[in-house]
Amino acid sequence: MSITALPPTTLHVFERISPMKKAEVVRELTALLGARYVLHTPYDLMLYEYDASIDRCTPDIVVMPASTEEVAAIVKIASRHNVPVVPRGAGTGLSGGAIPIYGGIVVIFTRMNRILEVDYANLRAVVQPGLVNLHLSNALNPEGYYYVPDPSSQRSCTIGGNVGENAGGPHTLIYGVTTNHVLGLEIVTPEGEIVQVGGWTQDTPGYDLTGLLIGSEGTLCIVTKIIVRIVHLPEAVKTMVAVFDAMDDASNTVSEIIASGVIPAAIEMMDQMILQAVEADTHAGYPMDAAAVLLMEAEGLREGVAEQVEQIVGVCNRHHARVVRIAANETERQLFWAGRKNAFGAVGRISPEFYVQDGVVPRTRLPYVLRRVGEICASYGLRVGNVFHAGDGNLHPLILFDSQIPGEVERVRKAGHEILEVCAEVGGTITGEHGVGIEKQEEMALIFNEVDLRVMQQIREAWNPRQLFNPGKLFPMPGRCADIKQL
Amino acid sequence: MGEIETLARAIQEHAPAASLNSDIDVLSSYAIDGLLPRLVVTPTTVEQVAQIVALTNQHSLSLLARGGGSRINVGELPEQIDVLLETNQLTQVLEYEAPDLTCHVEAGLTLAALQAQLATKGQWLALDPPDAVQATIGGLLASNASGPKRLRYGSLRDLVIGLHVVQADGEVARSGGRVVKNVAGYDLNKLYIGSLGTLGVIVDANLRLHPLPIAERTLLLTFINATEAMQTVIAILGSLLTPSAIELIDAGAASDMSDFFGINLPANGYTLAVNFEGGSVTIDRQVDETRLLARKNGALMGDDLTGEAQNRFWEVVREHTRGSVTCKAAILVSQIAAYLEQVEQVCRLHDLETAIVAHAGNGILYIELRPGDATPRLTQAIAELRTHAKEVRGSLVVERCPVDLKRRITVWGEPGSDFYLMQRLKQQFDPKGTFVRGRFVGGL
Repeated sequence: MSITALPPTTLHVFERISPMKKAEVVRELTALLGARYVLHTPYDLMLYEYDASIDRCTPDIVVMPASTEEVAAIVKIASRHNVPVVPRGAGTGLSGGAIPIYGGIVVIFTRMNRILEVDYANLRAVVQPGLVNLHLSNALNPEGYYYVPDPSSQRSCTIGGNVGENAGGPHTLIYGVTTNHVLGLEIVTPEGEIVQVGGWTQDTPGYDLTGLLIGSEGTLCIVTKIIVRIVHLPEAVKTMVAVFDAMDDASNTVSEIIASGVIPAAIEMMDQMILQAVEADTHAGYPMDAAAVLLMEAEGLREGVAEQVEQIVGVCNRHHARVVRIAANETERQLFWAGRKNAFGAVGRISPEFYVQDGVVPRTRLPYVLRRVGEICASYGLRVGNVFHAGDGNLHPLILFDSQIPGEVERVRKAGHEILEVCAEVGGTITGEHGVGIEKQEEMALIFNEVDLRVMQQIREAWNPRQLFNPGKLFPMPGRCADIKQL
Repeated sequence: MGEIETLARAIQEHAPAASLNSDIDVLSSYAIDGLLPRLVVTPTTVEQVAQIVALTNQHSLSLLARGGGSRINVGELPEQIDVLLETNQLTQVLEYEAPDLTCHVEAGLTLAALQAQLATKGQWLALDPPDAVQATIGGLLASNASGPKRLRYGSLRDLVIGLHVVQADGEVARSGGRVVKNVAGYDLNKLYIGSLGTLGVIVDANLRLHPLPIAERTLLLTFINATEAMQTVIAILGSLLTPSAIELIDAGAASDMSDFFGINLPANGYTLAVNFEGGSVTIDRQVDETRLLARKNGALMGDDLTGEAQNRFWEVVREHTRGSVTCKAAILVSQIAAYLEQVEQVCRLHDLETAIVAHAGNGILYIELRPGDATPRLTQAIAELRTHAKEVRGSLVVERCPVDLKRRITVWGEPGSDFYLMQRLKQQFDPKGTFVRGRFVGGL
């Protein structure tokens, strides 16, 4: 089939299943897994109708497999009955990746959360998808090792979910995102086949399917095992907070640090609105009257860190930093980071709801883009705060809103869309780490033309032509059953 | 008039600026594993490339892109090559945003030319494969080339942030973008890297850059056996030290280097070359600590290279991955010492000699087998070496070998359980077989 003959993306792929069919599927799944691990009553399902995005939709059935073989068997049952399957990690995703927009079966991995193997000599670990991100590092820390990707939700998000979304985090600035730390996968295909891709070693012959599958948002396969790279903990870590009276000064500091060839482990920025929310919540010692704060971390060998800190402080001072504070000890360092990592939660204290964007821009365009973000939100009468991975140019504007106010949700969506238009305009992208999911399907067209999208669809056409896995995601597609979450 | 002449006419008509050549002497100089293309086309713009691919597709003929040709023989024997599309006229640097540490370049630019331009801003593309003067960005991408410093910087999958690729029907598709962090849509960059031209023609790339190191030093260590050398490697990798490259060199390779390049390495046992980059204080400390670790594992101290001598040393090491019969084995670091013993046994059995250079920290071994014309013995030895690699979760690819030998072996080894997924991708991307078949895994 030529690419022009691909089915249109707007196809409505699945109808909700009938009560009769549901009963039959539940019966088969119960025979496979036991009644305890098959949820199907409205009360039980409610927990799985949302993630951390603003969309929701209730699944028909939730299953909890304990092994790869059970996942494969579930998929075969689903395939036979033509019921869609949506894999779900901890539900911390911000783009609606785990929302079953056509209902069907949601697979959760709480029973597949083990570390199967750690090989320190070869710096590898093999884990199951339901393992909580931070639990891996916690297990490795006593031996002096850790797993690098550290999304802000790492205390609850799972590595399977991280693989699905190609998750990042503050420390991906020098070390890269999930895809740079995964060597191989065990997957279940839409036919229910168990397949190994990649492996323990590098450069396995053939197409780099591991690279292709990471970040495919559950639309191509279900991941059942992950081979990751682990690394030695750094000898020294220094965390700094630089306080600025002008946003542009903070942005220009970021650009100059990177351009000067010093690449710290992390550079995070928080603006005034976020600082005020964070201080009220965490009491980390951030100044409430500053325009922006940069939270920066240098790590590595003692001597190298000392050198880096000196250079970074120099750049901050050249750009009129009011003060640069270096964490005196681990407690203070943890406090600085707690402020940053709890920022989203802290904003929850000052606004009933918020909507977070994830655009990326070339670092040198940060001053312009941040100004535009402010202007766009002001024009819609919305408050916005910025807390983001400045070193990567990865923005996270938090737009505050209250869905009880008529028309507000629509204004938020429009402002979000305009912000992403600006990101695209300056050569950036619409998502740096949260994924497309349902949320940014329309915005895919801001950065990819019809040909680009058609080529991407060939992948889904090759492996998941019926869209049995996570249907209706990723590609532009109007009309959906999901509702806006009413908190 | 034959079909290839019809196609040549059509190209002349639709892309008149592209030069065509079907002179038999010229075609012979472009032969791949002895197979001559029927037409060599040299476009000067991306639009022409798209046009040429579209026309080839419409004429149901086959096409292969070629950069500098330094790795064009990688892979199984090609099936028919109707059109060889040479990218060496696509040499523009489209954008170079030094403060963002990114650039956007056309596929025919050579790595050396790119590095020269980036060096003026104190930056580089952190990739050090052999033959930078000849190799083009497109060719390096298509064949996923790498070098010793992948230990620190990773390989092309870690450095590419965007690509434009001409599809089988001649449409140009973008994947990725211009920023370092991007998860919008499927990560097709990964799919194209190393796909050997089977899915499309890479015409330009957005690359992430690194600052040039402030200083650099290489420590040479000598060991009586591979076990002690590899114990040292494992100790370094599991320590706080952050070397940029760790290269293991066997006696065969060391003696070549001494004979031909005037680099003095001991002719017995194994040499370990450990490269450090960064500020001089951190380098000094790391060199000292590495010496200590190495001494504990029975090392004899060798030279400490800097400046020109160091550059030359690494140049020679890189070139050494390109013998007339060279296998690339991927083996877990902890298994390398045992594997090297098996290599020795296999070679003794089949009366072969080795020259081995390994990215020891990454578990990538370049094993040159000699003599390169001992076809039956080599066939046996390669099969055994592959079996041993597979026994320890590894793989073995024959990167370079004469055509005679290539006819008797599989270059990539037997495809794995994921092969049918690869076949489906190829089928979707190139249903008519526009891109030359045969060379990639399983004949894709």
